[in-house]
Amino acid sequence: MKIVSELFFNYRRIMKAIQLYLLLAGPGIIVMLADNDAGGITTYAATGAKYGYDLIWFLVLLGPIAYFVQEMTVRLGAVTKHGHAEAIFEAFGPFWGWFSFLDLTLVNWLTLITEFIGMTAAMSIFGVAPIITVIIVCAIMSFMVLQGKYWTWEKIAFVFCGFNLVYIPAAFLVHPSVPSVLAHGIIPHFPGGFSGELFFFLMANIGTTIAPWMVFFQQSAVVDKGMQEKDILFGKADTLIGSFFTVVVAIFVIIVTGTVLHGMNIESAAQAAVELMKTNQYAGTLLAIGLFDAGLLGAICISLASSWAFGEVFGWAHSLNHKVREAPWFYTCYLFALLSAAAVVLIPGAPLVLITLFVQVIAVTLLPAALVFLILLLNNEEIMGKYKNSLLENVIGFATVLGIIVLSTLYGLSVLFPEWFKV
Amino acid sequence: MDFIGDPAYELKRFVENWVQDINEINARYAKPRIRMTPMVKFSLLLLRIYLVVLVLIMLYKFMTLVK
Repeated sequence: MKIVSELFFNYRRIMKAIQLYLLLAGPGIIVMLADNDAGGITTYAATGAKYGYDLIWFLVLLGPIAYFVQEMTVRLGAVTKHGHAEAIFEAFGPFWGWFSFLDLTLVNWLTLITEFIGMTAAMSIFGVAPIITVIIVCAIMSFMVLQGKYWTWEKIAFVFCGFNLVYIPAAFLVHPSVPSVLAHGIIPHFPGGFSGELFFFLMANIGTTIAPWMVFFQQSAVVDKGMQEKDILFGKADTLIGSFFTVVVAIFVIIVTGTVLHGMNIESAAQAAVELMKTNQYAGTLLAIGLFDAGLLGAICISLASSWAFGEVFGWAHSLNHKVREAPWFYTCYLFALLSAAAVVLIPGAPLVLITLFVQVIAVTLLPAALVFLILLLNNEEIMGKYKNSLLENVIGFATVLGIIVLSTLYGLSVLFPEWFKV
Repeated sequence: MDFIGDPAYELKRFVENWVQDINEINARYAKPRIRMTPMVKFSLLLLRIYLVVLVLIMLYKFMTLVK
């Protein structure tokens, strides 16, 4: 009888923990799946087409890297109750505050344009004109924020996160050889030796794993959600699950393009979808749907990251729980970023390729700063108290941040000077 | 009062409000909260050098493009 009651007690305890997790889950999973945005999907598709399954092991390594960086934002947000932009102003003064804020605004706006490029390209495959795509996207994104509840916004975002998993059935549709995936993908190696081109692909994959907006977004989302110190464990679990899914999605994109398009030079995910449709209509369609969803998810998070940052810095009301009349400037910023980025995509002859390259270059001016500030803040006992980084967390954090800074900088330079990286 | 509704006057007021807001923000955060330990100072110095070098590289690229 005692065993039965203990089992029942444990069952109730676990169920309560799961229920509590489902209440608190959100920012970690959303930010991690939004990390696989239009640019990310393009990178994975091109990697799979170029190297087949050979770089899957590298993507597996990127999961923990993304987790360790984003986990720090959870602690910082839950303890300080400030977003990253505000935290930088408060801790490091106006110079670094304005630098980070203005850089973030620029990078986010340019990245938002690239998300619209991805979405319009994906919908063009189905014969939908860019103007229609842009109107639909703006309507969806406006509805999501204007309904006035963070919780509702988060659950709608969850639905779009679910669509991000369409690459899994797409991979099964192209019938990859599982032994071949395991043989080529699991053991770390450099296909064809270490060349300049391979290095570029490795750097591109790192560049898509951690973007500056992710740091700002998750910290602000944690604050807007009202997470407390006691919720940090759930926030970490949320981020861990998210980082697992982000790697899973990336691997399945690589499996799809690695199976069907291996040996081709793929410039964009939309091109990969079109090529895929020639051999497998359904898999190509799923890839196009996934690309649209990836762009939408990225756009949802990026535009919010900017609006939250504006609200934090200028002291405006900046919560999704506020109605429009309570936080007019917050919603104005959101809609302005959204509509202006959408308008750029519709301009005939706009330098969209140049913008895409420019994003990668500008991002390397902000990412190191955001990560260094993150590490410094997480080491400050006065700010973090008992939640400051432990020695182990610092070793992992420093190594991760240093690695990301070096490789993302090299990636930015390789975009500016491709001739430097030709071996 | 006669100026209210005049676009130039409204624009001037708008800009003045922004400048005032920015000055207030600068004053609010004038004193950094973080203690400037040697580690923090060193990190910020490295970051400054990194950014200056990066800007110089971008300028070089821009100049070569223009040429």
